[in-house]
Amino acid sequence: MSETLRREWTRRVAMAPGAVYALILLSLVFALFTAQFLTLHNLTNVGMQGSVLVIVSLGMTLIILSEGIDLSIGPVLGLAGVVLALAVKQQVALPLAILAAIATGGTFGALNGVLISRLGLPPFVVTLGSFGMAQGLALVLTEGSSVPGLGPGVQYFNDGRILGFQVPIIMTAIAFLVVYVILYYTKFGTYVFALGGNQEALALAGVRTRLYKTGVYVLGGILAGVGALVMTARMNAAHPTVGVGLEFDAIASVILGGTSFERGKGWLGGTMIGALAVSVLRNGLNLIGLSTSWQVSMVGVVIILAIVVDSLRGI
Amino acid sequence: MSHFWLSSLPRLVMIIVLLVALSFVSPAFLSVQNLTNILRQASLLFLLASGLTVVILTAGIDLSIGSVLALSASVAANFIQQGWIWAGSLIGLAIGAACGLLNGLMVAVGLPPFIATYGMLWVAEGFAQVFMKGEIISGFPTGFRFLGAGYLAGVPVPILVMIVVLMVCIFALRRTNFGRYVYFFGANREAARLSGINTRGNLLLVYSLSGLISAFAGLVYISRIDAVESTIGEPLLLPAIAAVCIGGTSLFGGEGGIGGTMVGALIMTLVTNGMNLLNASPYWQPFVMGAIVVLSVAIDQFGSAKVETA
Amino acid sequence: MAEGLVLQLEGISKQFPGVKALDDVSFDLRRGEVHVLVGENGAGKSTLIKILAGAHRHDTGRIVISGQPADIHNPAQALGLGVSVIYQEFNLVPFISVAQNIFLGREPRHPKIPGLIDHARMNAESQALLESLSVDIDPRSTVHYLGVAQQQMVEVAKALSVNAQIVVMDEPTSALTTREIEQLFAAIRRLTARGVGVIYISHRLEEVFQIGDRVTVLRDGKWITTMNVQDATMDVIIQAMVGRTIDRMFPRDFAIEKGEVALTVRNLHRHGVLQDINVTVRCGEIVGLAGLVGAGRTELARVIFGADPYDAGEVTIFGRTVRGSPAASVAVGVGFLPEDRKREGLALILPLRENVVVASLRRLFPSGVIKRAKEHTVVTDFVKSLDIATPSINRMTKFLSGGTQQKVVLAKWLCTQSRFLIFDEPTRGIDVGAKAEIHQLMNELVKQGAAILMISSELPEVLNMSDRIYVMHKGRITKELSREEANQEAILRHAMGVTT
Repeated sequence: MSETLRREWTRRVAMAPGAVYALILLSLVFALFTAQFLTLHNLTNVGMQGSVLVIVSLGMTLIILSEGIDLSIGPVLGLAGVVLALAVKQQVALPLAILAAIATGGTFGALNGVLISRLGLPPFVVTLGSFGMAQGLALVLTEGSSVPGLGPGVQYFNDGRILGFQVPIIMTAIAFLVVYVILYYTKFGTYVFALGGNQEALALAGVRTRLYKTGVYVLGGILAGVGALVMTARMNAAHPTVGVGLEFDAIASVILGGTSFERGKGWLGGTMIGALAVSVLRNGLNLIGLSTSWQVSMVGVVIILAIVVDSLRGI
Repeated sequence: MSHFWLSSLPRLVMIIVLLVALSFVSPAFLSVQNLTNILRQASLLFLLASGLTVVILTAGIDLSIGSVLALSASVAANFIQQGWIWAGSLIGLAIGAACGLLNGLMVAVGLPPFIATYGMLWVAEGFAQVFMKGEIISGFPTGFRFLGAGYLAGVPVPILVMIVVLMVCIFALRRTNFGRYVYFFGANREAARLSGINTRGNLLLVYSLSGLISAFAGLVYISRIDAVESTIGEPLLLPAIAAVCIGGTSLFGGEGGIGGTMVGALIMTLVTNGMNLLNASPYWQPFVMGAIVVLSVAIDQFGSAKVETA
Repeated sequence: MAEGLVLQLEGISKQFPGVKALDDVSFDLRRGEVHVLVGENGAGKSTLIKILAGAHRHDTGRIVISGQPADIHNPAQALGLGVSVIYQEFNLVPFISVAQNIFLGREPRHPKIPGLIDHARMNAESQALLESLSVDIDPRSTVHYLGVAQQQMVEVAKALSVNAQIVVMDEPTSALTTREIEQLFAAIRRLTARGVGVIYISHRLEEVFQIGDRVTVLRDGKWITTMNVQDATMDVIIQAMVGRTIDRMFPRDFAIEKGEVALTVRNLHRHGVLQDINVTVRCGEIVGLAGLVGAGRTELARVIFGADPYDAGEVTIFGRTVRGSPAASVAVGVGFLPEDRKREGLALILPLRENVVVASLRRLFPSGVIKRAKEHTVVTDFVKSLDIATPSINRMTKFLSGGTQQKVVLAKWLCTQSRFLIFDEPTRGIDVGAKAEIHQLMNELVKQGAAILMISSELPEVLNMSDRIYVMHKGRITKELSREEANQEAILRHAMGVTT
């Protein structure tokens, strides 16, 4: 390995993102405090519950890398789940229903992307607005109630197994692989880094930045659709408000994993670790017996602290 | 100054159009009873949005106003219900101000305002849930209920409160040094610093005010509905932002004002009222709110003087 | 004549509001030559380059590239025509690899799997490019972690990779060590060996002789001379850069009695930026601060004003030590008129009136409540005394001309009753008439007992307005010149660190 590469990797290891420390620390703490934490059953649980977060966070990573943000991803996931459930209830063939859910996510992504890239509107306001719109649509379609009893077709995506592993875990792995390849092996991925790191350089090189910027949000929306499938399968029902708050966990996972809000710096693997850390945190707090209300605050506090420390540490 | 009133014209026209349209939809619309109701509702929204307006004028944002309202109102309600009206209210206000101060500190340290206040949104929400344990507190003493449900000279108190707050804010923003600092800060933060303005201090003050006003709005709100639970703040954030944006205050800072927010709050309330009259499902409201936020920001983009110079 | 010429710029003119940046400039570039472009700050070099790069449109004249007339509308188009500009602040994407940067927008496709990048080929080709420049960088390394010199090499490799015919380098050596400069020159020679024409902009005149084939001098937006380097000498070049007629633009009365000491700077040190600075300014005098871009003048001014911190030393203003915040400095009686008045001096979307009083609010309205009538009187008085051209005091500041805007900034500080003013490029971007007015005002101010520290890159302004001149070079003060000692050559020499 050449001199420059070696120096770079030493620096990377030394400056490992907070997620790594968090995951290790939290795992140790919970392993010590509760006997149940380190059981295979529980760890599988963490994996299963974390799968939706990982899938959604993958998309969020690319969005944040491109110097954007998507606050609507939670309700969009909820809406996609509602679309899936309603389609199934209407006897629509399962593959089509799944496609519809994914398309819902992609459409909202496109909406966000076009408004942000074409009109230059601040991402957080646009996605705050689409947050409301997605939420509203989900509520309208279900009239506020859940859509339960979706049948074995949907349930397969939670209970089924492939090669001995539960389907959600397989899906998470596949999603991670696909996004990994996109980010590091296609020009789309290169442009994502460039959008955040030096958009002018990209424009100068003759690349259509607006197209790719929109594409990032579309991808995020599609992944939300996939996440909706797993989430709906797990609960065997679609709740219109299920996704609210997911975006916060996703943003936290991404930041903890070493991706910055500016400059196009980030690490997809770190997001995975970050999402695991957040899932471990929630799981552990649950095992300890902390009420859900405390959890909401504690997670919020921990995550803000991590972000503050991260921003103080600089790059 | 004239520039501001000129740009308000389209909005005033919008209100008149809405009023006319709604009076056609329902004969009961133009009754004194209904109009008073609308004004009262708009007052509540306005109160919450007024602190937000000041923050947005500095080119910042406060996404935590709903949760801070819920948290401070929940804690205050606990004491008020037991008869400690003044102490409870003060405690609520203090909590609001403290949350705001924390927001201000995070922003001063360099966190983007939307992330800092978004985090605070969850933290405050969580603490509210912990505090309330999912229960509802209701039945406040008459003395306290005067604030939200009482009448003075035939006019509902919240409307009077709104008028007072409106006038105080207009005065503060247009006639005091502090107001000048707010606008200058939003128009050009670096130039403000290099002109000797204490930018850090002003940041802390502005966010603390936002928290304080959210808490105050919370007190009026729970006094009106005579109940509180930890989630009352959730549906309030979007309408508040929409009210500020429709009112012409630019998200990029330095432009707009409280008067616009008042107009925006009126428009939002008329839209909600209209939807109710049309028997639209209440579930459409978040959708409409979201769409209005996006639309008003997009329109704002085309007209913003600041963006042109960037 | 056209053969062998890769670029011809003929009769290029460019007018900005209030300032003619280029006036009928012609310039040509041969294949395989290094053509050095020199001139003082404001001579027009960067404007010329920006026009070539497609960032600005020229008003008159034409551009011919490799014999074909070129109509350049935007940077991407310029790139397509074979023009590659390497700016001082590089145009690289920090967190991707060297190879990815070199091939940005032109990533080679994977031979077997559709949609993927052929990393192997990209790395191999980048490796070859870097080796041809004799540079040892692994193409897989992330650009952000490379040193400045290495990043520059990546830019050069990028230019090679797009088969640029014309490569422009803007002050390439300002951040490099001697050894790295050698490497850069070697890389440039490899470029020219392939027939690429290089336009090289530099303030370091010795480099003209180290790397240049021809040199062109611009002054005040006009072409002065072009000569073969072997026929040129340092003196001739400096003379061309500097020689000009001086007109009655500088009303100064130098017989003013000097009063108390306004500013004392002792042993000031700011790591990496300023070293060992000692400066004094007294009331009744204008002290000039001369030097080249990057010499540290604005940095020094900002530290004195409190806008930036410092590590060691002492800054005393009217007897009070100051440090750390502009608010504190303003309270002591200092005003700062920044170089970039639109970004740092004014709130453009606010009315003129508010910009004038913003720094004096506490003084004018101690109760915190603004009295409109008083504000009106105060601002109107300044409009009169400074002759500010505006239909009303409520006019939005962004609609005022450059000269008027500068007067508003000045009014802001006069309103605070500051007695020590720091002017950073007081007349940049201002038309001739307004320039004279500003100079007049400055003279009046010191006559009334104010002290002024003036940073200026316009030598006539420095020479004719200053009682004394400090010359800076690379963060240090290289020389203090009295009015008698000062002349253009002396300033330039000390500013460039040229020791005769």
